[in-house]
Amino acid sequence: MVQKEQEWISIPMTVDVPFRFAAGQYLSKFMIEMRDNSKIYAVKCPQCGRVQLPPRIVCAECHVKNDEWVELSHEGTLVAFTIMYLPLTDPTTGKPHEPPFVYGSIRLDGSTSVLDHFVNVEPDMDKIWVGMRCRLVLRPQENRIGDLSDILYFDTLPGQVRPK
Amino acid sequence: MADRVAIVGIAQTKFAPKRVDVSCGEMAYEVIEEVLRQTGLEMKKDIDNAISCSHDIWDGQTISNIGITDVIGGHLRSEEKMALDGSTAVYYGTIGILSGEFDCTLLMAHTKMSQTNRNIVNNDAFDPIYTRLLGFDYTSAAALQVRRYMYKYGITPEQIARVVVKNLGNAKLNPVAHQSGNLTVAEVLSSPLVASPLRKLDIAPDTDGAVAMILASEKRARKITKNPVWIRGIGACYDAHYLGDRDLADVFALQKAAGQAYRMAGIKNPRRQIDVAEVGDDFSYQELLWMEGLGLCERGGAAKMLEAGATEIKGRLPVNPSGGLLGGVPINVYGLNRVAEAALQVMGQAGDHQVKKDVKIAVAQGHSGFCGQHQCVVVLGKE
Repeated sequence: MVQKEQEWISIPMTVDVPFRFAAGQYLSKFMIEMRDNSKIYAVKCPQCGRVQLPPRIVCAECHVKNDEWVELSHEGTLVAFTIMYLPLTDPTTGKPHEPPFVYGSIRLDGSTSVLDHFVNVEPDMDKIWVGMRCRLVLRPQENRIGDLSDILYFDTLPGQVRPK
Repeated sequence: MADRVAIVGIAQTKFAPKRVDVSCGEMAYEVIEEVLRQTGLEMKKDIDNAISCSHDIWDGQTISNIGITDVIGGHLRSEEKMALDGSTAVYYGTIGILSGEFDCTLLMAHTKMSQTNRNIVNNDAFDPIYTRLLGFDYTSAAALQVRRYMYKYGITPEQIARVVVKNLGNAKLNPVAHQSGNLTVAEVLSSPLVASPLRKLDIAPDTDGAVAMILASEKRARKITKNPVWIRGIGACYDAHYLGDRDLADVFALQKAAGQAYRMAGIKNPRRQIDVAEVGDDFSYQELLWMEGLGLCERGGAAKMLEAGATEIKGRLPVNPSGGLLGGVPINVYGLNRVAEAALQVMGQAGDHQVKKDVKIAVAQGHSGFCGQHQCVVVLGKE
């Protein structure tokens, strides 16, 4: 006799919770300076001198309040990267980033922390390496909206040769 | 092993409908900075454990504490989160010190209710297969609970409205409360219906804010303050998740949690021995229900006590002299605020809402989940 196959029920559901996150004192200043004056600001710990991105209220190492702001260069050095083969989604737009694309961690000159963002480079292991010099590219001023998407990506500086 | 644990410092933000000027971390730092200043303690030198209390779905971040480790001193150190009501952070922190592992523990609870939608967040607490599709939230579940309570014990809407009148009146005396007012029973009963019989004024409002507290072992506490508040007893207990498994007018989990805390504190007669209570009135009627669960009166007797004026600030057993949660305290912070307000009463530092009688023993109660599924009771005392 043929046994009837067990049926299992599952219920599709999108757990969709809307948010509006307050950027607060430190990130508001960071994003307003970037939007209006094309400047990248970090905070410097009054005790250990670490220059921190994103700017935040407390230096984690020293547990003191950060109140000194320093302007950073738009150029920096790639300290890590990955070529992505998954179409990860931008939650503010709901649209995927088209793979393959490159995420990089860039230490802007003058900063202790690194900044993670897209790197506008061919996703080819021969054309990207740790130690590359990069430059931040902002959205054209008239189109800026005051969030992290005002940073479009990092370009790699031209004329670099992969070290052997 | 430490014998006793004391509360040695308390800081609370002013609770406000919407703190658009600060991130969660910055809001948390307001109370952390203040409680350290108040006690003269330094994060790295003095605080050896930190416990936060918040909720992933309210914060919109998986593992809601990972973004606040800087401000709470969790950098390359221990920090753990209670994803339950703030009262359970006191429970957990106390156990850590009693174990002998820690001497001085920072507790901090935060939530910004304004950044999302309470009905949607609360709906996600329900079983995804069985009840969630009804759209149920805490308010609709509470409406079923209050109806059952009214039916079983003959409680009237007028009696329940008196909780709102009392608490919003008390909140006028509390500088951190977000709402207050001189209301009449008739005014409460004419506020808009939300889920009958619950009206807008029966429901704790959406609020943003944070509370911090420092717990210390007896040896440390003596060095930090002349006015320690001793944690005399703690208890916690869960009830059934499915509302259909319970008679919602029953308070078994709270009775068990209270029984555990009272045994530890040596309280045999809570009605006589407890001087003041701060309870979790997320909804007006819950003040009455939880008073009964805490054994402050017989089952069904809380409304009569309220009507007789016994629970007013000047009464025999004041309940929620702070104005309670109806005055406006964020969810998840509820219980740490309950314990903080009870402790301020024991210290004699509650300011304008300090009760008139001498407070030797205070009880605080917090709960998580709809209709008080998880209950936590903290008994506080003087020397």
